[in-house]
Amino acid sequence: MEDLKLTLKQQIIESLNLQGMTPADIDDNAPLFGDGLGLDSIDSLELMVLLERNYGIKIEDAREGRKVLESVASMAAYIEQNRKI
Amino acid sequence: MMKPVYISAATALSPQNSFDVDTLLPDVISSDNGKLFVKDTDYSKFINPVAIRRMSRMLKIGISTGMKAVQVSGVEKLDGIITGTGRGSMRDMELFLGDMIRLKEEALNPTYFIQSTYNSVNGWLAMQTKCTGYNQTYVHRGHSLEMSVLDAKMLLHDATEPQTYLVGCLDEMTDDYFIVKNKIGYWKKELPNSLQVLQHSNTQGSIGGEGAAFFTITNTSANSICSIEQLKMLQQPTAASVQASIDNILAAHGMKLKDIDVVLCGMSGDARFQSLYTPILESTTAHTTVAAFKHLCGEYDTSTGFAMWLATKLFQEQSTPEVLIQKKGINPAINNILIVNHYTLNSASLMLMKKTISE
Repeated sequence: MEDLKLTLKQQIIESLNLQGMTPADIDDNAPLFGDGLGLDSIDSLELMVLLERNYGIKIEDAREGRKVLESVASMAAYIEQNRKI
Repeated sequence: MMKPVYISAATALSPQNSFDVDTLLPDVISSDNGKLFVKDTDYSKFINPVAIRRMSRMLKIGISTGMKAVQVSGVEKLDGIITGTGRGSMRDMELFLGDMIRLKEEALNPTYFIQSTYNSVNGWLAMQTKCTGYNQTYVHRGHSLEMSVLDAKMLLHDATEPQTYLVGCLDEMTDDYFIVKNKIGYWKKELPNSLQVLQHSNTQGSIGGEGAAFFTITNTSANSICSIEQLKMLQQPTAASVQASIDNILAAHGMKLKDIDVVLCGMSGDARFQSLYTPILESTTAHTTVAAFKHLCGEYDTSTGFAMWLATKLFQEQSTPEVLIQKKGINPAINNILIVNHYTLNSASLMLMKKTISE
């Protein structure tokens, strides 16, 4: 699980072009949107694409997506249970 | 005839040092590979740090150039933003199309798509300046900037109150774009140094370029640099139609060719288009300086923007740098400039500009 979280953080940094950030700067449980990492709605679309491309996960339900994208920890947990690749 | 409009601020990001310096062309930058790329600046000074990470280079170039024009003008409220681009954000479009092929049209990144639309720079400028007024982007190849200026002129002609529009242009070159256009003869086969390209005007092709230029254009002369007196666009230009247009513009303003202090010509070193400028070189008298600019910015759809920016600087500095001069004139001051430019054989434009005389 820890390896997955580290990989996920690296993928988020690369995908969202979070210049100057390292995986160590992202807290596992900090909110990705709003007060935490400060991501916005376009970032959420990019994260959905990240999940589909790297893990074969398609989230159709927006409410479910909101829960999954709460934090790195919630994303990693969902990936572990639902990944297809 | 429409009333003149006035330029109160002009900025340009170009392959030359045109953005972070106060003097005109303090040094001259050249290239040996047939491409002149914009000299980057610190874009974070003009763009929200959260937004900048998603932006392509072209977006950063366009937004920074536009924001600086607004800053320099000191205008607090824009009445509208009008931009011209011949190609839009090429790099984002290439990334998006590349992903479509690579990923078989699935799981495509939204950012490249959103930012590659032609009007994305205008949208960002509107958000950053909080301008909720008129917002228009013209994508008319070699007349894109000219259409934007014409639109601003018409809006300001009708305005009964003082108004200011941010008008500009941007186009970028990518390696892929260079390769594609090379196949249809846009660029020289044997590449000279960019500063020498005009000396190779007996062969086909030019050098590639890119850039952005923005202007605050108003209907009041107060605190302005110069006026745009007249703009003329030509489709399928010929040497005869260019000459006839020059004659018509001069006649309409009660001027003779010797009253033009500088003619800024868009000759590109391409033998196919050199004839458009031959009458100018032959008919100008000893009074007028004939200057060129595409050896400094390269050939691109909206290079007229670079020429307009140069014109504002010539008015301000009252001297023409040697690197521009093709034929030196004796007129002591620079009060009237005529820009004559073309983009391929499809389009040409002429613009008469006059220095604002302080009251």
